[in-house]
Amino acid sequence: MTTLRRVDSRVVFLVLITLFVLVVVVYPLVQVLIRSILVDGRLSFVNYEAVFGRPRNYVALWNSVWVSLAATVLATIIGTLAAFVVQRTDVPFKPLLRFLLILPFAIPPLFAAMGWVQLAGPVGILSKAYQGLFGVTGVPWSIYGAGGIIFVLGITKYPFVFITVAGALQRMDASLEEAARTTGAGTGRIMRDITLPLVRPAILGGALLAFVSSIDNFGIPAVLGLRVQFQVLTTRIYEALTIPDLPLATAMSMLLVVLAGVAIWALGKFEGRRGEHAIIGGKSIRPHIIRLGPARPWVTLALGSTVALIVVLPLLALVVTSLQPYYGAPLTLENITPRNYEAVLGSSAAQRGIRNSLLLAPAAATILVIVTALLAYLNVKARMPGTKLLDAIGMVPFALPGSVIGIGMILAWSNPPVGPTLYGTLWILLVAYLMRYMAYGLRACRASLMQIHDSLEEAAATSGANRIRTLRDVTLPLMRPGMIAAWVLIFMSAFNELTVSVLIWSARNETIGVWIFVMQDSGFAGRASALAVSILPIILIMFVITQWLSAERVAI
Amino acid sequence: MGITIEVEGLTKRFGETTAVDAVAFAMGEHEFFSLVGPSGCGKTTTLRCVAGLETADEGRIGIKGTVVYASGEGVDVPTHHRAIGMVFQNYAVWPHMSVFQNIAYPLKLTGASRSEQRQRVGRVLEMLGMEDLGDRKPSQLSGGQQQRVALGRALVGEPDVLLLDEPLSNLDAKLREHMRVELKRIQRETGIPILYVTHDQLEALSMSDRIAVMEGGRIHQVAAPHEIYERPATKFVLDFIGSVNYLPCELLDTGSDTIEVRVEGGGLLTLPRPDHVPEGREMLLAVRPEDMTLGRAASGSDLRATVELRSFLGNLCEYRVRHGGLELRVQTEKDELVAEGADVVVSVRRGFLLDRGSAEDPLARVS
Repeated sequence: MTTLRRVDSRVVFLVLITLFVLVVVVYPLVQVLIRSILVDGRLSFVNYEAVFGRPRNYVALWNSVWVSLAATVLATIIGTLAAFVVQRTDVPFKPLLRFLLILPFAIPPLFAAMGWVQLAGPVGILSKAYQGLFGVTGVPWSIYGAGGIIFVLGITKYPFVFITVAGALQRMDASLEEAARTTGAGTGRIMRDITLPLVRPAILGGALLAFVSSIDNFGIPAVLGLRVQFQVLTTRIYEALTIPDLPLATAMSMLLVVLAGVAIWALGKFEGRRGEHAIIGGKSIRPHIIRLGPARPWVTLALGSTVALIVVLPLLALVVTSLQPYYGAPLTLENITPRNYEAVLGSSAAQRGIRNSLLLAPAAATILVIVTALLAYLNVKARMPGTKLLDAIGMVPFALPGSVIGIGMILAWSNPPVGPTLYGTLWILLVAYLMRYMAYGLRACRASLMQIHDSLEEAAATSGANRIRTLRDVTLPLMRPGMIAAWVLIFMSAFNELTVSVLIWSARNETIGVWIFVMQDSGFAGRASALAVSILPIILIMFVITQWLSAERVAI
Repeated sequence: MGITIEVEGLTKRFGETTAVDAVAFAMGEHEFFSLVGPSGCGKTTTLRCVAGLETADEGRIGIKGTVVYASGEGVDVPTHHRAIGMVFQNYAVWPHMSVFQNIAYPLKLTGASRSEQRQRVGRVLEMLGMEDLGDRKPSQLSGGQQQRVALGRALVGEPDVLLLDEPLSNLDAKLREHMRVELKRIQRETGIPILYVTHDQLEALSMSDRIAVMEGGRIHQVAAPHEIYERPATKFVLDFIGSVNYLPCELLDTGSDTIEVRVEGGGLLTLPRPDHVPEGREMLLAVRPEDMTLGRAASGSDLRATVELRSFLGNLCEYRVRHGGLELRVQTEKDELVAEGADVVVSVRRGFLLDRGSAEDPLARVS
């Protein structure tokens, strides 16, 4: 009897989660797939012909590829160098450096693009300083167009490389290098012959993540490209939807899926091969730290000023612009005014945006953490049939560019066969976030459950605890750190989301990110900056919490 | 004498492989009973079936007169309703609870009052010598201390039986030796019956009242430690418990009191007549290293050999001696040292005689 009841309740949960995955992930995906090859009810590749038939479209595809590749190269160089210096040399202020180096993860890329326009645009702070210094008009660079997009993408996506490489360097078995040292190799030789080959998979893995994130990005090419007619796929999809040409946008979003798919497939290959290098030893021995000697202040200065330039300066520019009466005003104390703040924070759209974001982000985070924790439990611990597949499906959106998710939402919820029309309401944003960030919850919950050895739960059973007590007293408390980390990560990502939101928002259903973009795009740089600066504290607090959480978890 | 655990015809299959194959044994009231065997022999699966962590396919399990599993009657009492305490190989101490909370957990589940919990956990901590560590988190404890917490948690609810799954295998050698004595002391103090699983024959021999030697899902022999060592029932038991030399030999003559064999390599040995003489002539003489002596001459032996290596072990001295193509391992008292390279005569005090053709036959004891 008890056996029967026990199975029943779990089956109920399994059915509910299956429904969730079907509605949230599978249904919109199927919509995109079908609608991209179905015209008037018939199989047709007309939409794809439109993509490759018109230069505007295939140039955008080509731009997406090469700009993202170039940005990835830049991100890889910055990330790898920074990781080596921070992990393996005796530079001072390491915790601060590490914190600042990861910070771009938390700042919406849109902010970086806006900040760099204000720094290096035609009337930017750096541009004016350059003109004053050399007594010239104009500057030998342009922040708009391919160059600017590559630069800003590179300096916002390098944390992917930094984190994976720093992690690999930290876990690396020191004896591997010590063995080389005993053969008489010097530090430089060891780095080249031993260390670099060992962390190469981590470098490649981080680079591929940076690439996928770059082709996914909308905010940077939108701010830096649209004005000079430099199009990438994400901005072209955005434009196609304003015409609106939904079938074309759908076909182009499928091309994004292919691009991301190739990169993820390559990532899988490299991660699969990573097993060859058993760089993670059982015992953690502190790896050899290179003494920089007389070069120490110079290396510190170089890294410090790089961090200041690429992380701190754009944020300062936002603050400055937000306090100016008009964009490009001379930098004087008399020019400081709260006008932008008054204007933007007084507007009902911005207020709605803040309210909506503060509603959507925690709602998405809470729902996802509950659903994914349940699914992970049924998969990892209860080992119920079909849960592995559900988990795999839930991971798919991780590889999907945001534009596809946006298109999928429009197709799925504009006129659904059953259920309400969510398009044009706030709910569609919630469902979109649920789809986009499901993988974050799954990964965190699965990982924390797999770390809980079966015997910990068995020990509760042999102590006399039934299944519910075991779950309450042992499993859940041990999962809690992973669940909290997932919640904060989803909250932060949803709060900063732009790529999907910009495609599916509607009047009265703005998000904070969307409204900042709309302000910026409409030429109100000061107001956009004021709004961005206003929510910066929330972002920073969340980021500090994630850092604190990950440090806690390392300590356990 | 009452019976604690009674297992009959226990069978457990994982897919194609039969992990436990019709295992049966009965444990006495205060008995320290060990299941010992190589990895994959089914000992842990047997223990987990008793705990209810695995569900057997066939058989019956009774704990203190209560049937907790019977395949025929469809009885399968869930783990949390079986009156057991269990210690896991990796301790399984809950990292989010303090030492006190870990040990008090089984009491908490029975609804014991706070003062009762404090009192009983206090007694257990005292018995384990951990009075001052109640507030510590497991991460602040050494492996040995975590092991004690796991033991305390298993003991505190005064279960009918204690199940231990290789509890000492993660400890270093010195601590393991200490915990062996400690475990036995606790068992004698509390009188709690223990079902102990280990692959370490020394652990099993030193702690157990009785041992069941398992291999391939079956029990080869159940007996007291000295019995297992002195009178192994099968060649597997002889092999697994202690070490042994095998001397291929030919049975030359069977007298009324003695037998004569010629060892491969030519040496002749006269041995006491065993309890029964296997048929056939091609034999294996199995001799433990400590049952041989080295000397200049010996009556009843002209097995001449050369000492190739000598290893001083402290309490003993171990030699590798060569007789033709045969290398023998001999352990002697340390006060009769023989030099490397010396020519010696090897005499055999006792051993076992097996028919070389059929290794399954019962062993003939020569002594």
